Amino acid sequence: METEVSKIAVTPMAAIPFGRRPWEDLPQKPRKRSRDRFNLLAIVVLLFSILIATILISVSIGAIHIPVGAMAAAVFERHPLSETQQTILLAIRLPRVLASALVGAALAIAGLMFQGLFRNPMADPYIIGASGGAAVGACIGIVLLAQWSIFGFSAAALLAFLGSVVTMAAVYSLARARGRTNGVTLLLAGFAVGTMLSNSTYLFEIFDPNPESGHRVVAAWLHGVISVPQWKQLALTSVLLAVGALSAYPLMRRLNTLALGDEYAHQLGIRVETTRILIILVGSLFTAIAVSLGGLISFAGLIVPHVARLLLGPDHIRLLPVTALAGAIFLVITDTIARTLFAPTELPVGILMAFLGGPFFLYLLRKNKREYTL
Amino acid sequence: MTPILELSNVGFGYAERSVFEHISLTLVKGSCTALVGPNGVGKTTLLRVSTGALTPTSGRVLLHGESPATMPLKQRSRLVALVPHQLDIPFDFTVEQIVEQGRSPYLGLLRGMMEEDRRAVDRALNLADVSGLRFRIFNELSGGERQRVKIALGLAQDPKLLLLDEPTQNLDIGRQVELIDLLHYLRDEGITILASIHDLHLVHHNFSFVHLMGPDHSLTSGIPKDVLTPERIASAFNCALGRHPLLMETTSVHSSQGFQ
Repeated sequence: METEVSKIAVTPMAAIPFGRRPWEDLPQKPRKRSRDRFNLLAIVVLLFSILIATILISVSIGAIHIPVGAMAAAVFERHPLSETQQTILLAIRLPRVLASALVGAALAIAGLMFQGLFRNPMADPYIIGASGGAAVGACIGIVLLAQWSIFGFSAAALLAFLGSVVTMAAVYSLARARGRTNGVTLLLAGFAVGTMLSNSTYLFEIFDPNPESGHRVVAAWLHGVISVPQWKQLALTSVLLAVGALSAYPLMRRLNTLALGDEYAHQLGIRVETTRILIILVGSLFTAIAVSLGGLISFAGLIVPHVARLLLGPDHIRLLPVTALAGAIFLVITDTIARTLFAPTELPVGILMAFLGGPFFLYLLRKNKREYTL
Repeated sequence: MTPILELSNVGFGYAERSVFEHISLTLVKGSCTALVGPNGVGKTTLLRVSTGALTPTSGRVLLHGESPATMPLKQRSRLVALVPHQLDIPFDFTVEQIVEQGRSPYLGLLRGMMEEDRRAVDRALNLADVSGLRFRIFNELSGGERQRVKIALGLAQDPKLLLLDEPTQNLDIGRQVELIDLLHYLRDEGITILASIHDLHLVHHNFSFVHLMGPDHSLTSGIPKDVLTPERIASAFNCALGRHPLLMETTSVHSSQGFQ
């Protein structure tokens, strides 16, 4: 036995004709990967068509039914709709449906970014408290600084952004200990901070100096009601969303690298702290967009990126356009259901979402059970 | 010639506890060096200090004559790669997607993966012999497969200095031999290698130089034959002579060489 050991130890490795030498047959040309790109393009085109279709169908549904065919006739054959129909369509339904699409896209992208940042599939702007911070900021703007605006942005929108950034920075530093982000601590810190903030908006309801303006709005924040925006506000928000999505794009590759962990990402030349700050800023922009149009809507930012990741894999670059479109579709559909389910009474979409998202969250929790054992 | 890595009198400690002190070592270009020592002696920390991931509390680290702290990040990331002991991935990335991350130092804001990057990824996958695992999900691989994927990730970075933290762990003996062959191949390509190794059998004959870190903050350096004597191993690893095949007078690698 002992002599066997010594024989193995003594013989130089190079002398043993063993082991493959894979570098001896290195391929000369890299493999083609064009199929992936085609797939992504096809998926994006498909989702975009579905989004247009859902918007058209959603716009036609309501107390007064306006068939899609009649709308098409009005556009292409100069066969006008009645004045009531036109008013309903252009002043109420279309802005509302487009707003829900923007909210859905914004929530989904924010969820994707926060999940990547925290390396945790259970992060979501609502769960980690960013939405709560944005709601408080927006409330301050609506109730106390209603007359202010800078470059066309209302104080509410700007403060929503600021509130989201500050909350995210706070939750992030609370969840971080010794250079690591603990998943459980993150969810608990986010939950505590977010609940505190979103419930504190109730104070604005009580102490509102002019209850006429603020009351309904503040109540709506808490339940997630998508408002009917002005066209100007809609246009401005769309531009912001587009700018945000463009600036998010280079961050997506860094999110892929950050999946290897902070230290490894740093070794690969990523400025981890700067990248994190940028992700928090852009993610907060999306949260603020969603909150200023639709208040506190839970779980949409959790479900959409998660399902997209199941279908497409975790590459954030591919996920960005897909989650944005899927989020828009998802919220257009849920908002349509919310406003028609108990018509004429309208159900806040945030409440419907809580009933859809709660079980989904629990399912995730059970599925990931092993990671959270004590 | 400027050594690729030079540690002079380096110490590192956390607030309350010093991990190691007064470590000086030099790696010349194209050498293949092993780092051995008992558990908890700071081998991993030493490797992390060498890449600049940790800042030493005393002494000086020079990578190619420059301090890693002041060197531009991109330049540093093209110079040195550390293959870590463990890699936790939160999502279901495929092997290919993970190895592609190794190209990050070569990409820019507007420069995505080019053909040369794809070629480097293919080469890294082939060298570590994980081409067949390309589309498998990293988190579903076995320990040995993950080990080789981590090495591919380090190779995709195309470093001049490759540090490996226990690269033979989780590998069966056949894969260990392949790994050693790969390290020799890389050395012949001009890549400098420093690997922390637990299996002392592998160090003899396969590494031209070895640094033995002792529990008393000592560092013994030299060729394996001189450094890894049964007496020194017994005292560094706190293991009585005769209690392990490596520490038998008659069968130890060192003394049995006389029979050849």
